[in-house]
Amino acid sequence: MTPHAPLLRRPGTQLTLRYAAAIALTLFFIFPVYWLFIISFKTPDEIFAFPPVWYPESIQFANYRVLFKDGDAETVWNSLILAGVSTVIAMVLGTICAYSLVRFKTGGENLAVWIISQRMMPPIAIAFPIFLLYVFFGWVDSFHGLIILYTAFSLPYVIWMMRGYIEDLPLELEESALVDGCTRWEVLWKVVFPMVRSGLFATAVFTFVFAWNDFLFALVLTRTEVITYTVQVTHYFGGQSNFWAKIAAMSVLGTIPVFFTVATLQRYLVRGISMGAVKG
Amino acid sequence: MTATSGGRVTGMSESATSTMIGAGGVATPIGHAPDRFFKYWLIVPAIFLLLLVGLFPLIYSLVVSFQNITMMEVDTSFSGFIHYAQLFKDARLWQALLHTLLITVIALPLELVLGLLMAQLFLERMPGRQIFVSLLVLPTVISPIVAGATWRLMFDNRYGPINQILGWFAGEPMTILWTVNPYLVYPSIFICEVWQWTPFMFLILLAALSNIDKSLTEAAEIDGAGYWRTFFRIVLPSIWPVMAIAILIRGLDLVRIFDVIWALTAGGPGTMTETISIYTYVQGFQQFETSYTAAIAFLVIALLTIIVTWAIRRMGLAK
Amino acid sequence: MADLKITNLHKHYGGVQAVRGIDLEVASGEFTVLVGPSGCGKSTLLRTIAGLETPDGGTLEIAGKVVNYVRPRDRDIAMVFQNYALYPYMNVFENIAFGLRARKTPQAEVETRVKRAADMLGITQLLERLPRQLSGGQRQRVAIGRAIVRNARLFLFDEPLSNLDAQLRDEMRSEIKRLHQELGTTMIYVTHDQIEAMTLADRIVLLRDGRIEQAGTPLDLYERPATRFVAGFLGSPQMNFIPAQMAQSGGGWAVKVGDGTSLALPRARDGLSDGRPVVLGLRPQHLTRANGSSRPGHQRLGVTVELVQPTGSRAYITFPLGGVPTVAELESHDVQRPGEQIDVDVDMNRAVLIDPETNRVI
Repeated sequence: MTPHAPLLRRPGTQLTLRYAAAIALTLFFIFPVYWLFIISFKTPDEIFAFPPVWYPESIQFANYRVLFKDGDAETVWNSLILAGVSTVIAMVLGTICAYSLVRFKTGGENLAVWIISQRMMPPIAIAFPIFLLYVFFGWVDSFHGLIILYTAFSLPYVIWMMRGYIEDLPLELEESALVDGCTRWEVLWKVVFPMVRSGLFATAVFTFVFAWNDFLFALVLTRTEVITYTVQVTHYFGGQSNFWAKIAAMSVLGTIPVFFTVATLQRYLVRGISMGAVKG
Repeated sequence: MTATSGGRVTGMSESATSTMIGAGGVATPIGHAPDRFFKYWLIVPAIFLLLLVGLFPLIYSLVVSFQNITMMEVDTSFSGFIHYAQLFKDARLWQALLHTLLITVIALPLELVLGLLMAQLFLERMPGRQIFVSLLVLPTVISPIVAGATWRLMFDNRYGPINQILGWFAGEPMTILWTVNPYLVYPSIFICEVWQWTPFMFLILLAALSNIDKSLTEAAEIDGAGYWRTFFRIVLPSIWPVMAIAILIRGLDLVRIFDVIWALTAGGPGTMTETISIYTYVQGFQQFETSYTAAIAFLVIALLTIIVTWAIRRMGLAK
Repeated sequence: MADLKITNLHKHYGGVQAVRGIDLEVASGEFTVLVGPSGCGKSTLLRTIAGLETPDGGTLEIAGKVVNYVRPRDRDIAMVFQNYALYPYMNVFENIAFGLRARKTPQAEVETRVKRAADMLGITQLLERLPRQLSGGQRQRVAIGRAIVRNARLFLFDEPLSNLDAQLRDEMRSEIKRLHQELGTTMIYVTHDQIEAMTLADRIVLLRDGRIEQAGTPLDLYERPATRFVAGFLGSPQMNFIPAQMAQSGGGWAVKVGDGTSLALPRARDGLSDGRPVVLGLRPQHLTRANGSSRPGHQRLGVTVELVQPTGSRAYITFPLGGVPTVAELESHDVQRPGEQIDVDVDMNRAVLIDPETNRVI
């Protein structure tokens, strides 16, 4: 008779247990997202049914239609402009700065430490003096005011990430281009940028997502004109729960682009969120 | 010296070992290395913008904190240290600090341990692993304010699914006021925080664990080391550099926590869940205690700059 | 006129002196190899010539013009790098054309010149490929193509063959030699490999610790090394160095090694004196299996073979001479196994005597 391993040690049992744990965990982490999405498709009756409706009878888009009709959906557009423009500027300025830090050791370690430490500052402590400054300039509730702030706040991350990607580049390519007749600037555009383009793209996406997800700066520095979708969501918070549908629909509008962009970037995800600590 | 084939003179220069320009009596042309300012041009725009968020708030907060600006009056004359003296007497501030620390020291280890356990679970290959991992990532990438809003819906006393599920187990309808009940408001915040950020820890630790050289753990196994011994002697030290950075990033995120609490409780009930960020906001934008808020902002920036710089240097992050 | 003239060049990094006072002239059309052990300053010297480093002292002239502070792009040089430095996102054609495009060469001319360079290197069929689709040898050809297409005044090679396997290295070496003969361009070539240096160079410049140890034709350096370092660096297997003393014998001189063996010196040197300690340098190739009567200047020794390393047609044998293990390169059929007693002829015409104090050849 062949000896049997104890039940719990058998490979089949182990795999079953691991699947059970994996499914339970995934349910816990996914269910709230499911709930958010499903509410946005529910009718008011379904939302305020007791006991709750676990899945709607039919998908209907009335909640979204209301957002577009009232003009609330414009806040998503505002978020897009703010995050998009600031990301582009931060990528250009941050990448050339990172290049200088890596290739010429500009400012040495002190400058690098100072730059990354700016990433760790509490937004509220920065937002308050900036708010006072913007009041003085009349920049509160303006696109350029927020774009400048988002750009500045994104820069440490961009510089930090691009520093890592540029360090991975072979120096010889740039030297070869110099000998072949490029100026320093041409080396940047013709060699460095194309060489780091995947890192550039991944970093840009994360920078965009961070700005897109911001709430505090937008809360402090906007009034009516350039409200972002995150601020708009909180406008529906109230005593009564009547705005559930709007909260859910607006949140979904703000979440879908993030899911899409991150899904395309699985390979860079870990490097992106660990600020380069793990190279994927 | 050996004569060369074409009669060309070559040879050793024994005259100069000095590094001075023109050493050995040879005239050096006057000139400069080409493009020597190039590296500064590259950093100027970025540094200028960074000073806006890095230096300006610090200096301007300091200036304003020595003035006396409130909603009622604008007095820009030097008013000494009254706002800093006020800081020490402000019980609400100290409580906010305490709340912030409480959230940090509880949520951070929770996320870390849970993330590590999940990483262990998914470390070995299993069919469909990539799908699980992709789904688990979702909470981390959505906006914290949306995460808070989502859990606001989840926690609703009457129409939220949490109470409904608890009701199934209890056998009677439950109407727990999660975000209002003083005993449950912190657990609600922790659930939301852990839900959003455990996947962050999980992803990073999974990558770190996968990068461990297998021969190390196999050698330990052959040497007869048990599971825990292997874990503490080999696995943990191997992932520590990465884990330390994850802890630093998350720790600092928690210290400045704002969005989730704003969405879930807005600091309530009363001021029970007011963190330092929420309190600063309330002082600056609801009570309009401008100079006092500036004093708080200055202290927070100054303190965090010191701590963060120390931590970054300590971990050798800049190398 | 010399294409390159270097006068008392200095370069240091931080506290480390990489190049300390080098004088060098390279004539038009000459193939000069800078060779030396790692850290000798050869790469720094080349990079300074290219303009990738700025000298700290001395002058650097290309075609009669001082270029110390001239940008690399304005020096009229082309360079081939160790790791090929091909742009991975451009195909072979664009890689070769890169330098021409950077100089705004008209499209028609770019095409003819790239085609001609590709023909010369036999890579015409690869022009559409990306670098990652090429083998190591093909990449090296493209890298060379990128240099020759420019018609630069000066060609610089920075250890271009060190990443290739042995067989390809031989092939590319002859390819480079052939190109030099066809193009007649001035070439400066850095390597740490003495065989490359010997086979390619019109002139070898041997560097050590940032200075020129000796410069000359390959045969000059091989036959008449100026120092023990040069004697040891060139030639494989390495020259044998045996501590010895000078002794007067009859009308001439003899070299007496540690175990009392005396080897008559056919040609006297300046400054020899009785009892003067010297180091006797003997190349393994100058020790042969005794055959018939001894030729003039040769000394016959009876030795006991300790070690045999066959390499195919040749065999390296080791035997003690003057208390030092000494290597001789013989025909493989000359010796069968360790322990064998054989007679070896030592060609004392080509023996080198070195002063043990200064390490200079007497």
